[in-house]
Amino acid sequence: MSQQPSPVQPLKTVGHATRRIDAVERVTGKATYTRDMRLPGMLYGRVLRSPHPHARVRGIDTSKAAALPGVKAVITHDTAPVWWGAGSIAGGAQYNDDIKKITTQRRYIFNNPVRFVGDAVAAVAAVDRHVAEEALDLIAVDYEVLPFVIDPEEALQPDAAKVWPEGNLSPNARNEAAPTQSRRGNVEQGFAAAEQIFEDRYSTAFVHDAQMEPRACLAHWEGDKLTLYTPTGGIANCQHDTARDLGLPDEKVRIVCQYMGGNFGNKNQNQDADLIAAMLAKQTGAPVMLELSRREDWLGMHGRWHTVQYYKVGAKKDGTVTAIELRGYSGMGGYRKNSGAISGLELYGCPNAVSTVYPVYTNRTTSGNFRGPSDPQGFFGIESMMDDVAYKLGIDPVEFAMKNMRQPGQGVTFTNFSLDECIRRGAELFDWKTRWRPVPGSDRGPVKRGAGMSFMQFRAGAGRSSAVLRVDAKGRYTLFVGVTDVGGGAKTTMGMIAAEELGVPLSQVDVVWGDTDRCPYSVGESGSRTTIMTGYAVVQAARDLKKQIADKGMPTGSSVLVASVDPNPGTDGKVRNCFGAHFVEVDVDTQLGTVRVTKYVAVHESGRIMNPQTAKDQIRGAAQQGIGQALHEDLLYDKRNGQPLTAGYYGARHLTHLDAAAIEVTFIEVDDGYGPFGAKTVGESGIILGPAAVANAVFNALGKRMKDLPITRDKILGALA
Amino acid sequence: MARKPKDKISRRRFLEGTGVAIATATATPAFAAPFDSAQGRQAAPPQARTRIRLTINGVAQRIEVEDRWTLVELLRDHVGLTGTKIGCDRGECGACTVLLDGRPVYSCSQLAVWADGRTVQTVEGLARDGRLSPLQQAFVDHNAAQCGFCTSGQLMAATALLARTPRPTPPQVRTGMAGNLCRCSNYNAIVEAVLAASGSAPQTTAGNGGAQ
Repeated sequence: MSQQPSPVQPLKTVGHATRRIDAVERVTGKATYTRDMRLPGMLYGRVLRSPHPHARVRGIDTSKAAALPGVKAVITHDTAPVWWGAGSIAGGAQYNDDIKKITTQRRYIFNNPVRFVGDAVAAVAAVDRHVAEEALDLIAVDYEVLPFVIDPEEALQPDAAKVWPEGNLSPNARNEAAPTQSRRGNVEQGFAAAEQIFEDRYSTAFVHDAQMEPRACLAHWEGDKLTLYTPTGGIANCQHDTARDLGLPDEKVRIVCQYMGGNFGNKNQNQDADLIAAMLAKQTGAPVMLELSRREDWLGMHGRWHTVQYYKVGAKKDGTVTAIELRGYSGMGGYRKNSGAISGLELYGCPNAVSTVYPVYTNRTTSGNFRGPSDPQGFFGIESMMDDVAYKLGIDPVEFAMKNMRQPGQGVTFTNFSLDECIRRGAELFDWKTRWRPVPGSDRGPVKRGAGMSFMQFRAGAGRSSAVLRVDAKGRYTLFVGVTDVGGGAKTTMGMIAAEELGVPLSQVDVVWGDTDRCPYSVGESGSRTTIMTGYAVVQAARDLKKQIADKGMPTGSSVLVASVDPNPGTDGKVRNCFGAHFVEVDVDTQLGTVRVTKYVAVHESGRIMNPQTAKDQIRGAAQQGIGQALHEDLLYDKRNGQPLTAGYYGARHLTHLDAAAIEVTFIEVDDGYGPFGAKTVGESGIILGPAAVANAVFNALGKRMKDLPITRDKILGALA
Repeated sequence: MARKPKDKISRRRFLEGTGVAIATATATPAFAAPFDSAQGRQAAPPQARTRIRLTINGVAQRIEVEDRWTLVELLRDHVGLTGTKIGCDRGECGACTVLLDGRPVYSCSQLAVWADGRTVQTVEGLARDGRLSPLQQAFVDHNAAQCGFCTSGQLMAATALLARTPRPTPPQVRTGMAGNLCRCSNYNAIVEAVLAASGSAPQTTAGNGGAQ
């Protein structure tokens, strides 16, 4: 079944474990993050946020705050009515300018009514952050408190409080209030052909991206040109979005991000903090450093949308799935920042499937992209459901997966396919036949052991990005790429790809990154696209430069040769995916309700691996995040008052050194002829499988299906009671 | 979030309150508002300042600090040592870990005035004459910094651990660094780096595997 291209041929630089080119800066404190910037005369900005889940602002009295010595500006919607295009967009179509224009449910940098606890109301700039904080206390806001709704299913009831006057079903990209639907085959016929039908409900929690660096932005106007020092994984997107929102041409906005403390989907495009800082700087005529506290970052930014998923699956007794139906609800908070999609049905070859997903407004904090935006929650639901079906039909879940996964020839042509190989290798390395218990819950306990697995395929398509490469007379190469290196090691990877194609050592290549005045367009570090797309542009730039050198000879004196490329490659109509399978063993303490991961095997095919060191740690870190989503993380709300209860690392119980599992990573390497040297997706792929694999292992240990993430102690003890 | 002035607890009062919990627990009036009413107040009261002596990365300094400054504010905003990061500013994440008289502390949860007469070491003080410390070198070699934002704190916690326990076992490393979060969740690599720097053979880097 595997369609394997020829095994990868070794290369000189690419494929070898390589230290990051900026590792010394990262371990000496010299790496400059946004909050480490200082400009002469710099002021400090702070934001006032709503304490209510839903309220109309009757009036804001800023006079006392403005009179406080040291305060330089107080802004509200009246003085800074800036529409934040990326903050709410019809259908969550985040990169589409035309849809931003037609979006009617718009989000501003300050909103009225406020739609969640933490929605921004006003901001101040002052000589230091203490004065700015004091000034916030002096702003008097007259709120008319409104009814609120927290639960997405309740929000669709006719008598629910309305987050938007048009209703709580968030409109699509045509501004129509309709769920997102996708359909293949004929599900009615599929269910008619089934010998057994299974139905169940699963749910997942809101988990915050929780990158270690809280949001900040330093805004600085020089004449009519704005410079924003801001943590963003996409400087080009941030520039374009900010320019549009402020009514400036793109070239009048410069975005600089040299180092940033994590991304995970929280920092592409522009954020309201960028616009608020820009408005404060404009009003005061001074540079303004806007800082968000950890709590503000948790509530004011976004996290993974929480979901409710109802499945109906039809199957034959031999384990052939004949129909799948999903009805899902995604809680988007008060604004539609991203899609709210629920993935997973595409994993299965079953010809008859229908998915109907309702993106729903609530008075909770905003939902948005987090590493594999629609995947871990959807894969948890469908792969728990299918695991359950496999047990009920008396079939080993690994065999069930091999039988029902989407394969070549089922209406799709892949550039290569290795999911079966990932599952086989994983089962072998994990020793599935020994660790998995055919009778779930059969361990006598009281600490019960069990094993589970999950599998995935995830997009690894090609696309547009740019690179500029220069060589001087001394043979020094300088690569200009619009990456910011959110933590995955993109700068080093881009340098390695250039060195490989040029045939020079990495030490001969300097990389310039993270500044829109110096770097060409890059797709941005979202969608795991940097290595594939910007890396491909780097290869093309190196080829162009090599040809120039061959034609003209190396430059002499002060002249240089420059290659500038902007390729937009495709995959010849084929589907290009990465593949993976995770196998997990857990111990569940039936007296305490705790879950401990005792073994974790991750097998991935991500094409050719560019830098094995950083790639391995991307998978290991992502798998830990997946465990956190499975067992710990949640943003709980008090339904009586709409207040968030667990904002922050402590409340959401993020994994610590004491909680981390040993993740064993294996890469199956192939070169399918696309991407730079055959590279595929890595960054997001590792988080997708954890929740399903952990939950399935818990079922194998207990014989009780845990259907609601996170699988906390109370839920386990409740299931056993 | 929006606070009413009368509910406000200053950072100094809060930290002192938690630092000497018993003493202030009976002294609730100490939590009374610094400003009972903002009405008519035209000038911010001058902030109390204290002159302190301390040694930072081996250099003795005399600095006049505002009493409300935290140690991390002093380091980052007034001494220019921005290698120490603020991740949560409330003692949850460990990004701001520095050594105070050789012991790891969250510098967001220490007042600057408390450092009077004491010795502070930050990430900037680890390298000697431009040479990385063995621990820093191990962090480089083992890719222990992904985004790098927690790295300074991880390094300081590990430096303190290795000073105390030169050849730690993997569980000792994990316990010694339990207060330093990494959202890149690069925990395996960090523990590998610390073990490599100590010369201890890495056995397993696993912790409790997600145990709640």
